[in-house]
Amino acid sequence: MGMNLDRRHFLGLAGAGAGAAALAACGGPSTGGTTPASEAAEIDFSGVKPAASIDFWTSHPGKSQDVEKSIIAKFHAKFPDIKVNLVTAGANYEEIAQKFQTSQAAKEALPGVVVLSDVWWFRYFTNGNIIPLDGLVKQLDIKVDDFQKSLVADYQYDDKQWALPYGRSTPLFYYNKDHFKAAGLPDRAPKTWQEFAEWAPKLKASSGAQYAYIYPALAGYAGWTLQNNLWGWGGSWSNEWTINCDSAESVEALQWAQDSIYKDGWAGVSSKEAADDFAAGITSSTISSTGSLLGVLKSAKFNVGVGFLPGGPKVESGVCPTGGAGLGIPSGVSKEVQLAAGTFLKFMTEPENTAEFSAATGYMPTRVSADMTSVLAKTPQIKTAMDQLAATKVQDNARVFLPGADQEMAKAAAKILTQQGDVKATMTALKSTLEGIYTKDVKPKLKS
Amino acid sequence: MTRQLTDRPAAVAEAGPALRRRPKWSGRTRRDFFVFLALALPNLVLIGVFTYLPLINNIYYSTLDWTLGSASATVVGLDNYVTFFTSADAAKVLGTTAVFTLVTVGGSMVLGLLIALALNSKVRGTTFARSAVFAPYVLSGVGVGLVWLFIFDPGYGVLAWVLRGLGQQSPQWINDPQLSLVMVIIVYVWKNLGYCAVVYLAGLQSLPQDVMEAASLDGADGFRRFLSMSVPLLSPTTFFLLITTMLSSLQAFDLIRIMTPLGNGTSTLIYEAYLQAFGAFNRAGYSASISVVLFAILLIITVLQLRFVERKVHYS
Repeated sequence: MGMNLDRRHFLGLAGAGAGAAALAACGGPSTGGTTPASEAAEIDFSGVKPAASIDFWTSHPGKSQDVEKSIIAKFHAKFPDIKVNLVTAGANYEEIAQKFQTSQAAKEALPGVVVLSDVWWFRYFTNGNIIPLDGLVKQLDIKVDDFQKSLVADYQYDDKQWALPYGRSTPLFYYNKDHFKAAGLPDRAPKTWQEFAEWAPKLKASSGAQYAYIYPALAGYAGWTLQNNLWGWGGSWSNEWTINCDSAESVEALQWAQDSIYKDGWAGVSSKEAADDFAAGITSSTISSTGSLLGVLKSAKFNVGVGFLPGGPKVESGVCPTGGAGLGIPSGVSKEVQLAAGTFLKFMTEPENTAEFSAATGYMPTRVSADMTSVLAKTPQIKTAMDQLAATKVQDNARVFLPGADQEMAKAAAKILTQQGDVKATMTALKSTLEGIYTKDVKPKLKS
Repeated sequence: MTRQLTDRPAAVAEAGPALRRRPKWSGRTRRDFFVFLALALPNLVLIGVFTYLPLINNIYYSTLDWTLGSASATVVGLDNYVTFFTSADAAKVLGTTAVFTLVTVGGSMVLGLLIALALNSKVRGTTFARSAVFAPYVLSGVGVGLVWLFIFDPGYGVLAWVLRGLGQQSPQWINDPQLSLVMVIIVYVWKNLGYCAVVYLAGLQSLPQDVMEAASLDGADGFRRFLSMSVPLLSPTTFFLLITTMLSSLQAFDLIRIMTPLGNGTSTLIYEAYLQAFGAFNRAGYSASISVVLFAILLIITVLQLRFVERKVHYS
């Protein structure tokens, strides 16, 4: 070795290394301007050849891994030139979102198609992470009009379609028919929460269960299920972009919920999964996703009844929010990948495939023309979920469009329902937090 | 090296500037240095790339208003730090971090020492007991968290079942933020006290027996010997454990993530950094600033411990 390496040279090298590290620190996001939302211009796919292979990132909503594999096998038979790799990208919507956004930061390994939930797609839109599907809809002749109107409308913004419905659900009222019968109650869900409040003491007295009703776990989308209570009392989380969760109606709704636990003593709060608590016989009734239906029917050792969500003192019907997940296509992949992804997305949401998915999971069929005859013959309870679709409403902006709002709502709900916190003060504090999120994280990215 | 510097000939020192240059290394010194480089450089490069480079990156990101997933960001200087320290969350997060760290470090060390004293006795079954006490430390935090979640579940958990047998209702361990913190602390201490017990046991077994016997002959009873002899003589072990468990507690993540995904009541600095970037808010720049705050706290605590606490350590 001819190089004369002494301590000075070594220190010099170390300094150069540190300099390189400092320069490397200048990587990451560009700092040239403001963050653009997704480009709403229609993408022209004419002359583009679809890629030979794409990844499909999913969290297998409703334990759908097997049915997803089955539909992909059918896709391969129909489109042998496009290989779809099924990737388990997380155990739930949050984990898949984490992986998707980290990949955006790393600028690599993005999928062709990604499962995106009701509270995540808008963030992908504001970050410019997904493409509008309108170009693909035109190119591939995707029948958007045949999708359930309220479900497809969830992904429309800026006059563009940003995703298509996939594993879509609504909350459903689950009740233990045996408990209801023993209490001398009619075999149906209550029409309103006031009616249920009359039933609850009889249920608790005769059933032997811990609770007549259990509120869904607060970590499991409390903002979604409590939307029903707020709407029933004439309240809401927000009206468009105006946060009004501290309104008299909203406060009254949550005060009633708190009283059902602390004052009346017939309700509890689930710690993990209300559907599991219900199936285990801990409670006579609960609210849970339609996606839990098949699991409950399988594990419950009693007769399970399902019904529409109860209304409240001000609004008796139309108090059920939509929810669940859709499918989107990233902007950071080539047009070839986007076209192949669009072809797969179209296939996944075909009427026969959405019916197959629905039969395997309990999620709702997303297409109007889906033939559900055999599915309903096997699981007639799915019909209730389908019928309830007509009475669903798109969720309040605050819950689905504000990053982290769902978590803040869950914390507020925990304070009210498990610590007997002051409802008005808690909701006023929540309003302030949500307004802060809107002002800092959303407003600057919206077109004026 | 030392010999070269101290034995420098006077003639060289008195010569002109050209001759006053630092002498070249001898062949042997250079050879030794290359051996050092060959052995240390790969590790230094790895540490540089995987520890210091991300650290520098993180400090840079902490000066940005950057939404995770967004291709662009705005330079905001120290705004993220100002936002953190002026927010209501800062006091809550720092308080949670302090409570979690102090109770888990104190709990693990005190209980670990008591268990070590029990394991140090010469009775049958101590080998099995030592393995049993140490086992939770090597178990996966995720697995431990899931099992304990089942134990604490107020609906159908084992603890709720026991309490119902006693005519009591289970507390809301998972939904109540204050009880969530207590729950996570209990599990963390349970998982980690085996480590403290084993290290303390090694310390107890290396105590000079002649000194202990002399104290015994002088009439010191067991408690007095423990307080006046064992505890001071164990101070190097205590000091070592204090540093390692404190660093470990400040970086505790897996149990908190599994048992309380929302971080409601359990949001320590490291978990708050995770939640801000990856949980829901996607505030990558703000999260980076919280990480830097945590790094600064870890650095200060370690330096203070080395600078002041070590003075109290009794090295035999």
